[in-house]
Amino acid sequence: MDGYFGSYLVVALLAGLGVAVVGGAFTAGRLLRAQRPTPEKLITYECGVDPVGEGWAQSYVRYYVFAYLYVVFAVDAVFLFPWATVFAAPGYGAVTLVEMFVFLGIIAVGLLYAWKKGVLTWV
Amino acid sequence: MNSQLLAQSAVQAPHIEYGQLAPMLIVFGLAIAGVLVEAFVPRRARSAVHAPLTLVGLAAAFVATVLQAGTHHVAAEGAVGVDGPTLFIQGTIIALAFVSSLLIAERRPDTSAFVSDAASVPGTQEERESLVAGDVQTEVYPLTMFAVGGMLLFPAANDLLTMFVALEVLSLPLYVLCGLARRRRLLSQEAAVKYFLLGAFSSAFFLYGIAMVYGFAGSIRLSEIALAVSHSGGNETLLLLGLALLGMGLLFKLGAVPFHSWKPDVYQGAPTPITALMGSCTVVAAFGALLRVLYVGFGGMQWDWRPFMWGIAILTMVIGAIVAITQADVKRMLAYSSIAHAGFVLTGVIASSSQGLSSTLFYLVAYGFTTVGAFAIVTLVRDAAGEANHLSRWAGLGRRSPLVAGIFAFFLLAFAGIPLTSGFTGKFAVFAAAVAGGATPLVIVGVLSSAVAAFFYVRVIVVMFFSDPNPDGPTVAAPSLLTGAAVAVGVAVTLVLGVLPQPALDLAANAAAGLFVR
Amino acid sequence: MTPADVVFLFLGAVTLGSAVLVVTTRQLVHAALWLVVTFGALAASYLLLTAEFVAWVQVLIYVGAVVVLLLFGIMLTRAPIGRSEGLDSANRPVAIAVAAATAALLVTVVVAGFREAYVELGDPPAGTSGQMGASIFRTWVLPFEVLSLLLLAALIGAIVLSRREIQPPGESSDERPTERPTGPGRG
Repeated sequence: MDGYFGSYLVVALLAGLGVAVVGGAFTAGRLLRAQRPTPEKLITYECGVDPVGEGWAQSYVRYYVFAYLYVVFAVDAVFLFPWATVFAAPGYGAVTLVEMFVFLGIIAVGLLYAWKKGVLTWV
Repeated sequence: MNSQLLAQSAVQAPHIEYGQLAPMLIVFGLAIAGVLVEAFVPRRARSAVHAPLTLVGLAAAFVATVLQAGTHHVAAEGAVGVDGPTLFIQGTIIALAFVSSLLIAERRPDTSAFVSDAASVPGTQEERESLVAGDVQTEVYPLTMFAVGGMLLFPAANDLLTMFVALEVLSLPLYVLCGLARRRRLLSQEAAVKYFLLGAFSSAFFLYGIAMVYGFAGSIRLSEIALAVSHSGGNETLLLLGLALLGMGLLFKLGAVPFHSWKPDVYQGAPTPITALMGSCTVVAAFGALLRVLYVGFGGMQWDWRPFMWGIAILTMVIGAIVAITQADVKRMLAYSSIAHAGFVLTGVIASSSQGLSSTLFYLVAYGFTTVGAFAIVTLVRDAAGEANHLSRWAGLGRRSPLVAGIFAFFLLAFAGIPLTSGFTGKFAVFAAAVAGGATPLVIVGVLSSAVAAFFYVRVIVVMFFSDPNPDGPTVAAPSLLTGAAVAVGVAVTLVLGVLPQPALDLAANAAAGLFVR
Repeated sequence: MTPADVVFLFLGAVTLGSAVLVVTTRQLVHAALWLVVTFGALAASYLLLTAEFVAWVQVLIYVGAVVVLLLFGIMLTRAPIGRSEGLDSANRPVAIAVAAATAALLVTVVVAGFREAYVELGDPPAGTSGQMGASIFRTWVLPFEVLSLLLLAALIGAIVLSRREIQPPGESSDERPTERPTGPGRG
């Protein structure tokens, strides 16, 4: 279990174990439970009140901007990992630090703009 | 983890030649400054801050470009080539962007081309309120500057990765800008969606092409690709498909047939100042990138790509010229005219010589300024519903306002390539280069399509001058200083390059003499 | 065939199968969820090719962020939940033909281009974040910085298209601008 593939084999085994535990629990539940469905039991549970209308609603475009901000900052964060592994290595140092902060600074301008436009307030 | 490995490979900090990148840095700086203006300046004052900032900044970027003249160097760790043709193209783009910015900055409340509030749904109360309040979406300025910055980087990119990032930086703001027209907003939004979807496809082709070429050459640097091409023996399948896909991405941006179908719709739907920007700067930038890819990266296999480019050039000239005849909308007609002109420029590209390069550069300058001027005139002919773009509305314009109609006729004659206009000099230069490069049949097709194209340009002139004016026809808005200046620059450049072309031809020849840096 | 080859083939089959399901399922939300499987299997393939960093980027950005964006996109429209019959048009046969032809072309080219080429995957792997960092911050600095501008431009564009500016209480909307916009030449 060492080397590159070995280490990921552990990850794969653990993931498999996780799927097996959850899947096993559900299968066991399905096999063991009593099953006497009635139409009332099959409707969606909505805090004890009878559900009204469809389960689907068109959402506001402003939530899309939140999702979009999330994408931008996910891309942003992804570049922090390689940066974090090298910036302390000999030969990088201050210049690499500045490079990253230029990158972050430019995106921060976008955040500033979003804030001033009121995008970040939850209306 | 593997710091040992890193310690061996990493020795010094990357070296960035800030002076040589100055034009791009200034324009990107303008874009960021524009975003900060949007964030912190009160709404009423924004345009008054943006317009001078943009124009002064672009002028500074132009000066920075001129100061680099004579540089022949690969900068920024190999990412950017700074050389004669690139600086010439960058200077052209900045100058054209300056003139287009004059049109963008035109915003008397009744003649602004841009939407009052992009997020309001067309035809709703919200939209009416923002129209009454006299709002204008001023984010247009920073978005334009992002696009122009991308256009400056696009032809300068010395590796395909930088070129791809530049392609996205120039495209993405343009997609948004296309959808911001003040009138006929649904048409504008449709144009934006079409441009976005097709543009995303072409970007994907470009990216796939990069992957294929990397598979062949093992590098995405144009110089190393050139090396791999010249040393390749045998199997070139990956290379050929890679180049074909790269070519599709680039030809899409300049609207060559069969990748042209977006152009009429987008040119028609976009706000006219943005159409002027796309019709001039984007075309110049795309040709710059195409020239660099073909001349630097794939110059060693020109016998492979030349037949295809022949076909594309012939199709582009012929279809552009013929379909333009059937158009009834001025902006659509200019779009097809721009497609035909892309074909003419391609004949210069195909010559693949220093002469071909210099004639292409000259043609791009001549065509760019005439285009901006022509679209500036289009913004002036208006009726109650905004710009009157339908050709039938232009009937008799020559009698109502002879000056505007006369100037537009002059631009059309320049497009047609009549002597004493820049269009003639440009066409003569590219065709001469193509003949010298052994592409005489192509030139014959080119001359014939010019004749067809001349037919529809002259038809518009006839409509303007020899038919009776419509009683409820459009009026010509008195040009403000900004639009007037844009028209004047267009006329001046078109005339000077037609009557006294030699200095500009010499400049282009000097710029092209050193070819692209490797 | 090494065990890694077997796993790679398996992942390829999963990717292909889920990709086909993305375009054939009748339920829009299911298409987005099948896309998660496609992206995930692709990420696993990258891992197997020792492109460790790219694999985790694939998980973070595509499986995480892009699918979220996609689901928000679906929720913005009036797309119905459940089966929708309007997803297919008369273009279906043409689309299938184009897709098959494209796939055939690409497979042919890649097979012809690489033939028997076999790359021994190194151990330590060649695609760790350390190596990515070394090349991004040493060689590819300029495209990296320009990328931040791209993200900024996209963010501004998205906000422009989606967000109305809320009038601050001081600026009443019936107040006409008193000053005409100026250019530099206006003095």
